[in-house]
Amino acid sequence: MTDAAHLEAAVAAGRPRRARPPGPLVWGGAILGLSLFLAAAPSLVAPYDPLAFDYGAILQPPSPAHPFGTDNFGRDVLSRVIHAYRIDMGIAVFATVVPFVLGTLVGAVVGYAGGLAETVFGRVVDAVITFPFLVLVIAIVSVLGPGLINMYIAVSLVGWVFYARIVASEVKVQKRLDYAEAGRAMGYTHARIVLRHLLPNAITPAIVYWMTDMALAILLGSSLGYLGLGAQPPAAEWGVQIAEGKNFMATAWWISVFPGAAIVVTGLGFSLLGDGLAALLRVRR
Amino acid sequence: MSAPLLSVRGLTARFRAGGREVTAVDDVSFDVGEGEVLGLVGESGSGKSVTLRSLLRLLPSGARVEGQALWQGRDLVAMPDARLRRVRGGAISMIFQEPMTALNPVLPVRVQIEESLRAHTALDRAGRRARARELLDLVGIPDAARRLDEYPHQFSGGMRQRAMIAIALASEPRLLLADEPTTALDVTIQDQILKLILDLKDRLGMSVVLVTHDLGVVAETCSRMAVMYAGRIVEQGGVREVFASPRHAYTLGLLGSVPRAGTERSALRSIEGTPPGLAAIPPGCAFNPRCAFATTVCREVRPDLSPRTPGHLAACHHSDRVAQASLAA
Repeated sequence: MTDAAHLEAAVAAGRPRRARPPGPLVWGGAILGLSLFLAAAPSLVAPYDPLAFDYGAILQPPSPAHPFGTDNFGRDVLSRVIHAYRIDMGIAVFATVVPFVLGTLVGAVVGYAGGLAETVFGRVVDAVITFPFLVLVIAIVSVLGPGLINMYIAVSLVGWVFYARIVASEVKVQKRLDYAEAGRAMGYTHARIVLRHLLPNAITPAIVYWMTDMALAILLGSSLGYLGLGAQPPAAEWGVQIAEGKNFMATAWWISVFPGAAIVVTGLGFSLLGDGLAALLRVRR
Repeated sequence: MSAPLLSVRGLTARFRAGGREVTAVDDVSFDVGEGEVLGLVGESGSGKSVTLRSLLRLLPSGARVEGQALWQGRDLVAMPDARLRRVRGGAISMIFQEPMTALNPVLPVRVQIEESLRAHTALDRAGRRARARELLDLVGIPDAARRLDEYPHQFSGGMRQRAMIAIALASEPRLLLADEPTTALDVTIQDQILKLILDLKDRLGMSVVLVTHDLGVVAETCSRMAVMYAGRIVEQGGVREVFASPRHAYTLGLLGSVPRAGTERSALRSIEGTPPGLAAIPPGCAFNPRCAFATTVCREVRPDLSPRTPGHLAACHHSDRVAQASLAA
């Protein structure tokens, strides 16, 4: 259909023409939809038990029976990659949701209040971003002890700062706009103005960053898994799998490469979704 | 005149700017009567908007407000925050210059009207829904039922100002503070909005304080007017008297700069120079460097705002000469 025909159809239907969702959003959504399905029901798709040893089929290259090959215990790499979706998608969500919520609230309050709160917050930000993110997280995990729960705690302790900084700067802009003043002139409370009026207008960049952050969280979770600080063997987790395969890189590349590819694809999905959301929300403005 | 609805005495607003304190509103006093429309006129930076905001203490943090604003026996300037919040948007509502930005862009218009109803009335959910629709009808938005669920960006400028007025009227206020409500609109729409405000004032029995820089708007809508210059009121009185015989050189200059229909064609006169910055207000009468009538006394002594004829006040050393000049013109 041509543009003019589109327009006519829209006018005839008596409602404004809806823009098509941006391509990245569609692709990102498709990748993540599939990922979520695999995370929800890995046993439906995986051909083998991810933890079952099979000493009759050790270090098999990819074949029809084992499309991604087998590792040094004869475990099916495809099945392990699929089962790892549950842990790694879990990391993407649980390592970022607390920083997102907490950081957004703190940022909104700090941005609205300004003054001393802003000064103190600024110093906290400085203190946190002085350290490389991974180093700080590893330091906290090494104090708390390895494991997924402690990893979530460590990432949350550090990660909220980035959300808070984004939201605070956005709220600072929004609170000077007329509708915020109009809210005060209407006698609304500060809490109401911040939560109901400023935050919905300020949260878009934080949501977009959240998508990117989920991709980073998967990378981080895999890195910590690789280093033995995140998910623990024999659990199926991409970072753990890559670590298990590193001694066989020269002879059995498939043990490490397929989990690596899964990380790349999933990360790409989150990035595309973030890009697509950014484009979509920009159009709506 | 019976006891005024709002009585402002010695209102002063100071800001810190670049390490020093500037006075944006200086010792301003006026009354607003029941059902009256008071026009607050002045150039940009004359302090008219700050005066309006000071009444509800809607100034940036760091601003200091002094003086009195008596509202139903209570002083708005000294009132505790929680109490003032009930007055804001309740008995005293405000509308703004920029209808494009004064509405929240991410909430449908219905939500924004209902929010005001929720804050200031005891209506239940169904009652608020019905009332929101009535209010949109009241401010003359056609097809109100459908437009309620639209977002501000789907409204034109005039429509948005109408929606803003609907929100402000939700609480059935006694006093409407209007900060240049028509400045950002087309001329034809300006007229509609002014008529709407006047009409609603009569139907709902409100008073209005209208801030504007447009003398035509004042002539059309206001019963009394106060002219501001450099943070002070320099002339105050009935619109008819002030237009017929201004008593302050600045007012005379303003009137001379407006085209008048029905008189002989004459060149428009502008006022020489620019208004002083707040940090450098000249001693004596603040208008003296731009004033054709200025003498030594004007450069040294600040004139008081005092009655010249009953109900007509001016702060000018030469108000009689100004009055004569205006008759001669």
